[in-house]
Amino acid sequence: MTTADGERSQTPPSAQPTPGRGFPDPYEISTPEGAEGWEEMYAYHNRFLYARRAEDSAKTWFRNSLHFPEVSYPFDQLIVDGAFTGTGVTNTRVFVLPPAKGLDVRVVNGYTYMSTIPSPDEEEQARRAEEFAKRAGHYFRNWETLYAEWQDRVTDAIRTVHDLEVPPLSEFEPIERVLEERGPSQGNQLLAAYHRLLEHGDRIWTLHSEFLNLGYAAYLRFLTLCKEHFPEIDDQTISRMVSGIDVLLFRPDDELRALARKAEELGVGDAVRAATTGEELITGLGGTGAGRRWLAALEESKDPWFHFSYGSGMYHSHRSWIDDLTLPIQAIGDYIDRLREGDDLVRPLEKLQAERDALVDQYRSLLDEEDLPGFDEALGLARLVFPYVENHNFYVEHWFLTNFWNKVREFSALLQKWGFWEDVEDIFFLRRAEVEEAVVDLQMAWGAGGDPQGGHHWPEVIRRRKEIYAALSGWNPPPALGPVPEEISEPLTIMLWGITPETVERWLAAQGDGANGTTLSGFAGSPGVAEGRARLVLRPSELDAVQDGEILVAPVTSPSWTPVFGRIRGAVSDIGGIMCHAAIVSREYELPAVVGTGFGTSTIKTGQLIRVDGDTGTVTILDEAADVS
Amino acid sequence: MGTYTRRFHELGSADRSLVGGKCAGLGEMFQARLPVPDGFAITVDAYEDFRDASDLREELKRLVRGADPASPQSLQAAHERATALILGRELPAAVEEEIRGAYLELARETAQRRGAGDPDRGPVAVRSSSVDEDGDAASFAGQQETYLWVVGADAVLAKVRECWASLYTPQAIAYRSGMSDTDATEASKISVAVQLMAGADVAGVTFTVSPRTGDRSVIAVNASWGLGQAVVSGEVTPDEYWLTKAGPSVTSRRIASKQHEYVPAPDGTGVIRRDVEESRRDVPCLSESELMRLAEIALRVERHYGCPQDIEWALERDADGVPRVMLLQSRAETNWRKRKQKSRNTTKATTDLLGFVAAAVKGETR
Repeated sequence: MTTADGERSQTPPSAQPTPGRGFPDPYEISTPEGAEGWEEMYAYHNRFLYARRAEDSAKTWFRNSLHFPEVSYPFDQLIVDGAFTGTGVTNTRVFVLPPAKGLDVRVVNGYTYMSTIPSPDEEEQARRAEEFAKRAGHYFRNWETLYAEWQDRVTDAIRTVHDLEVPPLSEFEPIERVLEERGPSQGNQLLAAYHRLLEHGDRIWTLHSEFLNLGYAAYLRFLTLCKEHFPEIDDQTISRMVSGIDVLLFRPDDELRALARKAEELGVGDAVRAATTGEELITGLGGTGAGRRWLAALEESKDPWFHFSYGSGMYHSHRSWIDDLTLPIQAIGDYIDRLREGDDLVRPLEKLQAERDALVDQYRSLLDEEDLPGFDEALGLARLVFPYVENHNFYVEHWFLTNFWNKVREFSALLQKWGFWEDVEDIFFLRRAEVEEAVVDLQMAWGAGGDPQGGHHWPEVIRRRKEIYAALSGWNPPPALGPVPEEISEPLTIMLWGITPETVERWLAAQGDGANGTTLSGFAGSPGVAEGRARLVLRPSELDAVQDGEILVAPVTSPSWTPVFGRIRGAVSDIGGIMCHAAIVSREYELPAVVGTGFGTSTIKTGQLIRVDGDTGTVTILDEAADVS
Repeated sequence: MGTYTRRFHELGSADRSLVGGKCAGLGEMFQARLPVPDGFAITVDAYEDFRDASDLREELKRLVRGADPASPQSLQAAHERATALILGRELPAAVEEEIRGAYLELARETAQRRGAGDPDRGPVAVRSSSVDEDGDAASFAGQQETYLWVVGADAVLAKVRECWASLYTPQAIAYRSGMSDTDATEASKISVAVQLMAGADVAGVTFTVSPRTGDRSVIAVNASWGLGQAVVSGEVTPDEYWLTKAGPSVTSRRIASKQHEYVPAPDGTGVIRRDVEESRRDVPCLSESELMRLAEIALRVERHYGCPQDIEWALERDADGVPRVMLLQSRAETNWRKRKQKSRNTTKATTDLLGFVAAAVKGETR
């Protein structure tokens, strides 16, 4: 009840608009041709409602292209909602973060925008601080125990979704139900199972945020301290002092290296290199003992390490290694080649560890004696929290979501069998509430012994939505909507999305120029300079096209693209803050990277010769000729 | 150990009152086995005894006292008279002999070590060395003279006198005319460094702290072609190289168009200023490995003194292009001490949040 009082005493938004300059008004964005009626694809709460125009037009909305670079599929919107809900509830109601709450979320032409909820005033902050100290303090003091227990809870959630049974809707209920159990019918179970799936898809985001913002806050504390002592230190050096050497996200790639080594040991390297699909692997290797032993090792690696999305995992369309073995098989082949060239493929963990320690020693030696305890304490806490910050991504976005999407497909397969639609993937063009309608339709029809109506309703809806989706995909969403904020103070916005007053200025400037310059600037993600032909990869399915020596240009990259980094000469991304994957992997591979360019993918064309300067954070287009292939 | 001269290996930081800050620093670095060209200091006593060997001290004092600090003509007249006195008056034989002896010893040792060069005519730099702790005062007092490529004992003696005479520039006279006797006496103490000439293909300044922000993890290098005075005097815009001590590694470069350079005069005496040919103007004057070498030496200097340094250096490439770095001077860079900056991106909300986090870690409210 204190919370409700608190909400009424909120102060007005701290981000007062600067008159005369700004981004497009969300209410004046026009619908791309062919996408008329797109609003039907999203729930009312995701849209800018005219009744709220005065309030919503006065706020600044940032596009969340870090997590949601693509147009949301109607069903996949539940991930957007879940992710924002998870972080919101954790900040606002679970830990009661004193100075920051969650974010408002809206969809414009299929793209996700967010706006900070005003910070509590001083008095309310003080009241919240009482609660925060008890709650966050408990987590910081018992971090390792709680983190271990969290791993169990998440693994349980993954297993539950994996094991969730979609009732087969058999002709008759099994006899045992009548003679022994007398439990719910398969029709009841179908709806319950769908609810259970949604329940887990929702709860996973609270689990996701449980440690994340506390982790980020602890990291931010160390980062801020470093910048006070060393104003010119770059973010990557700080993250090198903190980050773990043995990060879970490198593990799938390590498995591929191990499989390459195993193939050579067993003398089946050539057979592995010859295959391009899972079927070819089985035909090529299944005939010999050594081949079968290798296939067994592959199976072992798959669970869980191939539950690794080609993208961020946030879209059903990204798929994972486990669904499509193309990338892992190709990467294992590349690693076999490297082994034959004499490369041992061993990540020099001890060397990296020693380098990290030497780096810390070096900075410590520059500090005054009295500053050392504070530095050590902040570093210690940042390191304590960091395994979670780095590893949660594998558990949630990769391992859990791979299982989640595939379970949705099981429901879809059942509905498809009953004539609701033609393709299993079609379900994703329905909103979550619409899928529930379809489930109820099926439940009723199956129960009564008749035919569901879905087959007469959904195919036309889905056909139209596919057209809309394609039209929205061609639209170029602005980086922000509404007025220019006077200040950007919300710490998590700055840290997670790299949105600073400078970023906003860059966006404004690019808006004026139409972003057609030959030079782009961003953050220096990984040092060095490289020149090469650009290769745009807008979605994971385009990864196969990447050629040796090209420069990868992507909206944002995924950890599972790691093996591709062995082939490229440099990387450019539209989006990237401190935790940016493109930067981390580029440093690991000693490739130059410029991240957070904002307009990389809309300015650079495949085939253009570009220079990536990872020392200064600039990308230069060297020839205008665009060989779009 | 002579009365009027001290070799660098005989000197350290504690000898400032005897040989001035510059010579004491060079001795300190020489003893620490840092790459400093060898040389010797002409002690404060040499000039004191020169003044006391006749009525020179009183005459100079009268000139300073008699000048009207508000009148440029009066200051100019006093300057000319004082300079003529210092350059014209006989040196005490003991002073002259000891300086000649020290120079010849240095030149001969060097010729012998290198197995080349005229043993009596080794080129040296002659530089004044101020006793005053306060750099600004030294600058007012005119004690900032440097003569390069000085060859032969006679020329050395002439340049030593010119260093001494630099105490009587018009502005130095104006500066001291208002002082008490004691202060003026202190401010007119001077020593001179005679140091083997360091050849320079490139020269410049290295800071072991960021001149922008005071960040102690930063090394900043300014460098240009030829001898260092083009950089020190600000006559050229030098290349800027920024490094981080971690590594060390280069973080950014700004290559300037370097129009002029100072090089030894063709006749082997003194230096000339000339235009840098087009092909070299816009290219970096330092390579990556040279920057690493400079950083390594700068860090050694910083470690030796235990605080950030501002270091003048020269770099000479041998026939194979292998660089040899020589340090010409190092001063403590104290401007940034104890000045800690808030990071630009640290907003109040971040500070607040971090305050709450820090408190929660300790189990407190705030």
